[in-house]
Amino acid sequence: MRTARRPFGGFAEWAILPFAAFLAVFAVYPLAQLVRMAFSDVQLEQGLFTWSFAGVANFVRLLDDPIAVRAVVVTTIFTVSAVPASIVLGTLAAVLVDRSTLFTGLARNVILWPAVIAPVVVSLMWLLILSPNLGALNNLLATLGLPGQGWLGSPTGAMGAIIAVDVWHWTPVVFLIVYTALRGMDADVLAAARVDGASERQLLWHIVIPLLRPALLAAALIRLVMCVKAFDEVYLLTRGGPGSATTLVTLHIRNVFFDRVELGYGASYSVVIVAVVAAVLALWAAGRRWVIRANGNGVVTG
Amino acid sequence: MKRTNPLVEGLLVVFVLAMVVPIGWMVVLAFQPGRTITSPEWDFAFTLGNFAALLAPGEPFLAQLGNSLAIVAGTVILCLAVGSLAGYVLSLLRLPRALTVVLLALAAFLPLVPPMALVPGLYVTLQNLGVLGTVQGLILLNTVFQLPFSVLLMKVYFDNVPPALREAALVDGATEARVFAAVMLPLVRPGLAAVGVFTAIMAWNEFLFGLTMTSGGVTSPLTVGIASLVQQYEVAWGEMAAAGSLAAVPIILLAIVANRQIVAGLSGGAVKG
Repeated sequence: MRTARRPFGGFAEWAILPFAAFLAVFAVYPLAQLVRMAFSDVQLEQGLFTWSFAGVANFVRLLDDPIAVRAVVVTTIFTVSAVPASIVLGTLAAVLVDRSTLFTGLARNVILWPAVIAPVVVSLMWLLILSPNLGALNNLLATLGLPGQGWLGSPTGAMGAIIAVDVWHWTPVVFLIVYTALRGMDADVLAAARVDGASERQLLWHIVIPLLRPALLAAALIRLVMCVKAFDEVYLLTRGGPGSATTLVTLHIRNVFFDRVELGYGASYSVVIVAVVAAVLALWAAGRRWVIRANGNGVVTG
Repeated sequence: MKRTNPLVEGLLVVFVLAMVVPIGWMVVLAFQPGRTITSPEWDFAFTLGNFAALLAPGEPFLAQLGNSLAIVAGTVILCLAVGSLAGYVLSLLRLPRALTVVLLALAAFLPLVPPMALVPGLYVTLQNLGVLGTVQGLILLNTVFQLPFSVLLMKVYFDNVPPALREAALVDGATEARVFAAVMLPLVRPGLAAVGVFTAIMAWNEFLFGLTMTSGGVTSPLTVGIASLVQQYEVAWGEMAAAGSLAAVPIILLAIVANRQIVAGLSGGAVKG
């Protein structure tokens, strides 16, 4: 307690300093630059940036940019497909591993593998499978006497492919969260319900799923954020194509920054996206508080 | 008490196969010569030629491998040092309340921001620091994006240490720094292991900053090198698969050996809500 009472210059202040410095230099400063950039016209001349104040011109332009609007739609379709799919599959995997008597140890380990592999390698892996000419999938279809598909070549095929690859890559995270919650569940509650004559189906819907709700919500939140941030896999699998069919918000930001070098405009788009994410999460936090109240406390922290 | 249900076991086998088959297919192709890869039949052979071509002198692959290893080492060391100090302070010591709130808010907010949105700002920052396009620059960026997780996970581990231990050591005359290094750190070794393994994987897998902050070739990390192989695809499928296997297989082996740490990392803040 001696040092804690000192006003400053104690161990606590020194020990927190590196973390605070990292956040200040690499989070606060770039965020401030981003906001400044969003309200500026930034030109790159001979490797130097020249800034001039542009008011809200960049933001106004956004409304007239069909690709910017389309990227939001594409990201929304991607997210509302990939998040529920990975939640359902991850939960199913968790329940199966929990119920299994033969493969629990093996499956618990193997199902995590996709989540530790680099996104770049995951896209490469799926290119080897989905490529129209040499890919394993079309080869398999040919062996079965079925016609090959373009997969990444058609707009719907490409969208389906990036959703499938994202679900394959990140279902393990959902599995892990739900499985941990399942293991932490009080076995006595289930045993008591069984003694009272509840069927397995009733157990699932009236006890297991309500008890899992906090874990499912946490998993959904994490997956939502991951989908909005998704870049690597899609960049390598489709480059946002064909056309702009799979141009997610992050890919559009990259194009504006690096191909079009319109920094101010790209920054205004980034600011809007960050604001939307923050707003969605604020709503989620409000909703969660409501869920906690509805459920009663104690269940939530697992 | 539990009975074996064939439906459960069958579905689980399907799950496991769905995870393993795409990975296995890449590894199989890594050992195939071009002849069998382009063949429409299911032909298989065995060659180490793809690996030899990747590692041949004059290819950037070895330099990129070295860069990635250096980035992993630097990121892990920084995350462990900065993360354990900050986690300790936030858990067991007192800071001005306003400072704590600001730090925790930033640590919660940073993981939500698409890193792509911060790239121009970070680019300028690295340029000002004179580390743009260097391994040091990438270590700093990897560290900052892994720190919120590292700090919060270390805090969770320090939360489980009884505060009385610290007070007892202080009464015995130890300084705060000595209490931290000699008493507290050994108690949170599992936390350090989880942070170390997890940040190592994330730094090894990182692509976006490697792509945007380096000029490619021998300056870039392994992931960017693999991506540049993908761009010429169908020409160098065997090499592509070999490079992917070299990047993925060590991590999968790590996932088998250090399963406990990875589970703690992946579920980290999440399960605690």
